[in-house]
Amino acid sequence: MNVTYLALELKRFLRDFMGVFFTAVLPAFLYVIFGAAQSWSKESVGNGNVAWYIMISMAAYGAVTATVSVGGSAAVERMQGWGRQLGLTPMRDSTFVVTKAVVAMIIALIPVGLIYVIGALTGARATAAAWIVGAIIVLIGAAIFSIYGLIFGLAFRSESAVGAASGSLVILAFLGNIFFPLSGALLTVAKFTPLYGYVSLARRPLTQGYILNGTESSTMLYEPLWQPITNMVVWALVFGALAVLAVRVGRRRQ
Amino acid sequence: MTAAAIEARGLVKQFRRPGAQPIRAVDGLDLTVPAGQIVAFLGPNGAGKTTTLDMLLGLAVPDAGTAAVVGLAPRAAVLAGRVSAVLQTGGLLADLTVAETVRLISSTFQAPRPVDEVMDKAGITALAGRRVSKCSGGEQQRLRFALALLPDPELLILDEPTAGMDVAARHDFWDTMRADTASGRTVLFATHYLEEADSFAERIVMVSHGRVVADGTTSEIRAQSSGRTISVEMPPDGADGGDSFVARVRAIPGVSEVTERGRRAEIAAADTDAVALVLLRDLGARGLEIAAPTLDSAFLTLTGEHLPPGATTDDGASGGAGSKAVTA
Repeated sequence: MNVTYLALELKRFLRDFMGVFFTAVLPAFLYVIFGAAQSWSKESVGNGNVAWYIMISMAAYGAVTATVSVGGSAAVERMQGWGRQLGLTPMRDSTFVVTKAVVAMIIALIPVGLIYVIGALTGARATAAAWIVGAIIVLIGAAIFSIYGLIFGLAFRSESAVGAASGSLVILAFLGNIFFPLSGALLTVAKFTPLYGYVSLARRPLTQGYILNGTESSTMLYEPLWQPITNMVVWALVFGALAVLAVRVGRRRQ
Repeated sequence: MTAAAIEARGLVKQFRRPGAQPIRAVDGLDLTVPAGQIVAFLGPNGAGKTTTLDMLLGLAVPDAGTAAVVGLAPRAAVLAGRVSAVLQTGGLLADLTVAETVRLISSTFQAPRPVDEVMDKAGITALAGRRVSKCSGGEQQRLRFALALLPDPELLILDEPTAGMDVAARHDFWDTMRADTASGRTVLFATHYLEEADSFAERIVMVSHGRVVADGTTSEIRAQSSGRTISVEMPPDGADGGDSFVARVRAIPGVSEVTERGRRAEIAAADTDAVALVLLRDLGARGLEIAAPTLDSAFLTLTGEHLPPGATTDDGASGGAGSKAVTA
């Protein structure tokens, strides 16, 4: 890893006002609006309360927004000639990948950290283990989603495509049961979408496998652990395969 | 003894295209450059210059042939910091400042020259705090030059370093280069500006269709040109409904090539005296000049194609009357 490169990359991120807003401030804002400010936020769920449930959901959303944009920009930069410039230096491709991965993780920690602090101050409650395990799952899932950004960057080679990838996360987040609890047929469909397994696993330390069944019903549904895990593993494999394909197509085009 | 700075044998690079014949960008190219020489790599766009340089830098792998740089495989030479390059446009991060870019690339080398020193050499100290996106094309090239100086390479490769610069910026850039190469560095630069090749290089290697077509000093190459060229002011095409002036000139026996440049026509011919007589006597041409062979005419003789229009002189490149803009 290259520390100078890492520091400059973080500086670049902090300079990008819109990027900081969408990855860090917006998810925290969503938590405050849909979590902390709502009357139901103090109702208990599993090991804690509804506020924590919404907090971890928004942390997951913020973290993937961060890694998708870092992954996508990394691909676009390399495609647009920065890769050639680095090719003139002794820096190895693996060093580049590791440095970018660490950058993505640190940037993903920004929204997670911010939301955790706001959550702790506004009454989000869960066991200590849930706080820790939840954060770890959020970061692992976010790492997988950096490949999603990478695919967009490799395939379309433009910053606007990376913006589109980040934007598409809003739709995937709705479909993935992140923003509000789905029920019935929509919930069944949701289980097949990419963000579902990720956020479901992140909530699991709180819910112990029970999921909200829409906003109306007070009953909760039990979900076997294999469902979210299968979802996450299958999508990780799909993203991996698409990324390899995009690299091959990109090489052929050169 | 020290190895040659560049030793390339039978380099071939093909590019596949979907549903079409592959293009041979480089087609059996041989090149040897001894240490300390300053060589221009001259040819029109698409001649295979960039692809050749990519193979010398380890950025592309040849389909056939071998390339050694300072006696090493290209990538090994890059890893050792013994070869460096200024690439064509693209390849900088727009949101970094000039100084940050230098620091970033500097961090990838084991023992780079100090950041301040290379920025001073490249003449960008005053731009240190400026964002790359706010720098002009010439300033960005100076930045790339500073980056190339970081490992203090024995061999410096420049791929059309002044493309897109105005005349003043080009002169400034070459002045900077001249100051640097006094240190004995080997330099290979690709260009399609004859003037640059002529004034800066001690040796010119002309490439066309991926092969070397001529190799020697400027005067040696000029001598390979067959004919002189005539330049005349074209009379307005008459109202007599006859052929255009250019068509009539083409019909003169011995004329091999006619090129319109604004209101003037350039005519290449074996016997320029005879053609000049016809032009003045029968065709009403004015302002006739006969020029000794130029590098461009040498190139034409050798390859049957012109270097890009407007690339032949300073005037032309700065957008002189009638010349087309040269794009990189």
